[in-house]
Amino acid sequence: MAGTRLFLVSGKGGTGKSAVAAALALRAHRGGDRVLAMEVGDEGSLASHFATTPLTFEPREVRPGLHAMKVSRPDALLEYLSLQLRLPGVGRFGGRVARAFDALATAAPAVREIITIGKVYWEVRSGRWDTVVVDAPPTGQIGSYLRAPRSIIELVPTGRIRTQAESMANTLSDHEVTRLVIVTVPEEVPTAETEETLDWLEQEAVVPPPLVVVNRVLPVFEVATRPTGVAGEMVDLHQSLVAEQRLWLDRLPGDVQLPYLFGVYTPAEVAANLSDGLEAIL
Amino acid sequence: MTRTLLVTGGGGVGKTTVAAAMGVAAAKTGMRTLVVTVDPAQRLASALGLAGLGHEPQPHTELPNLWVAMLDSGASWRAVAQRHAAPDVAERLANNEFFLAAAEHFPASQAYAAADQAATYVQARAWDLVVVDTPPSGGGIDFFTAPAQMADLVGGRLLRWITGGPLPGRRFFYDRAARPVLRVADAVLGSDLLERVAEFLLDLRTTYDGVAQRGREIERVLRDASILVVTTTNPAPLHEAIRFYRTLPELASTPKAVVFNRSLPDTWADPPKRLRADVREIVDRWSAETVRQRDFRDEFSARYGARVASIPLTPKPPTDLQGLADLASSAAGMPWEDLGIGFPT
Repeated sequence: MAGTRLFLVSGKGGTGKSAVAAALALRAHRGGDRVLAMEVGDEGSLASHFATTPLTFEPREVRPGLHAMKVSRPDALLEYLSLQLRLPGVGRFGGRVARAFDALATAAPAVREIITIGKVYWEVRSGRWDTVVVDAPPTGQIGSYLRAPRSIIELVPTGRIRTQAESMANTLSDHEVTRLVIVTVPEEVPTAETEETLDWLEQEAVVPPPLVVVNRVLPVFEVATRPTGVAGEMVDLHQSLVAEQRLWLDRLPGDVQLPYLFGVYTPAEVAANLSDGLEAIL
Repeated sequence: MTRTLLVTGGGGVGKTTVAAAMGVAAAKTGMRTLVVTVDPAQRLASALGLAGLGHEPQPHTELPNLWVAMLDSGASWRAVAQRHAAPDVAERLANNEFFLAAAEHFPASQAYAAADQAATYVQARAWDLVVVDTPPSGGGIDFFTAPAQMADLVGGRLLRWITGGPLPGRRFFYDRAARPVLRVADAVLGSDLLERVAEFLLDLRTTYDGVAQRGREIERVLRDASILVVTTTNPAPLHEAIRFYRTLPELASTPKAVVFNRSLPDTWADPPKRLRADVREIVDRWSAETVRQRDFRDEFSARYGARVASIPLTPKPPTDLQGLADLASSAAGMPWEDLGIGFPT
């Protein structure tokens, strides 16, 4: 039997990262997988793509067989300390220890990230899911998350947290398990940021080579004769936007392209529409 | 008097470009204008004459009255240490390995440095208008809450959480037996790491008086500023724009307008009915998109009582001064008078 697969979805802000993460979860779910979609961070919009109320730390079934949750750090920390590190007596101090530890972790490299990644790792190893999809932090921050296990190994010489970190690092770099998906759009700044991220990933090699999903790609149409009036304006804009996108598409790896969605109103419709184009990733 | 214009908004909406365009428009009407920008795209940077790096305001070579400065978001903690700590402490802080970790984990520190630098330019009284492109951390709200958050942090909140009581002296701090959290941290991270974190926090605490006082000055500048919220009709930036409209009136002031960037002309909502099939493919899509955009703008304006401005979608972002000036004058509904800027021509 194949083990759980983990998809980490990152991208620059504004490229549709959460929508693609939700779409990927929906696609895997449609294929019959038991799926967990996880949101990391405070201001996520993953819930809106499933048309559900704000997510909680406890996974909630948003479709039969598809669960969604949010990794909130204080909850993740308490669970990490008591279940994963098996520290005795943490429960007694509860929230106070979590808050204090969180404060301490502000000033210590990789500690906050390892707690978040630790929760993802815990779910992947739990055996409850066929597919885990993470709406991960944006590309500007993803490096410190992916590198966290390694940073901890460098920082902490012995002990349980180190052993845990070693196992996490192995899971993240295992291409039977982990796939990093970088969402981008064919524009100047997102293209440059994607290139930077790809370079960094190649150097650090903390995860298997990532897949790039180019979102909002315009359809190419041939128009025999330019019409007049409003229709002509639309044709002109469309053709020049296509030409501009071409510049950046030529620079981006073309693993998967998702279409620009015209006139689609709700985040749930956006995710449902995008899910059709994600077969290749699964 | 120096006016301040803060341009905020979610990632990827063209906020930096809009800020630059507003600055160019103001400079063209004769106002001495400084545009403070964060990490502009290459083409925009060259339009602004930012080819040569440098974080000090520099006059634009082609447009009199326009100055441009780039915020140095990396230098934030260093600047705080140098300004508000004794020289030996500042030196120790700057060489501390936790420095970078703290800067990264506390996005408000970057926002604080940006707000501090922007406030410095406003207080210099050297310009009629300072346009600030706010950094994206924390969805941009950090820029407004950073002074208070920063004072809170260096004021020992972390230390108090860790010790669970009054601020400790250096030696007391190592009495781990006294505090459960220290025992936990000790077991997880090791005592060596814990001690080094604690030393760092104790050093940081010496900057408190300076940071708190400066924070109040920065807040005053932010309160007196005009705010524009830039968005598109995509779900993520709209979500951000709504957050700004909910929180900014209390944090600073009610935004002067929400600027929908990359808008399609209303005339496209109702295209001709009879078209050739190849043309119809394109026209149906863009008219559906136009209708959706119009509905989203109308809803935003109705729900938040917001003044709505819109800037048309262009195939390429502006690559020179003329392009930026054209972008500003193409804006519909921009409250120029309210912003103290003459109508751009």
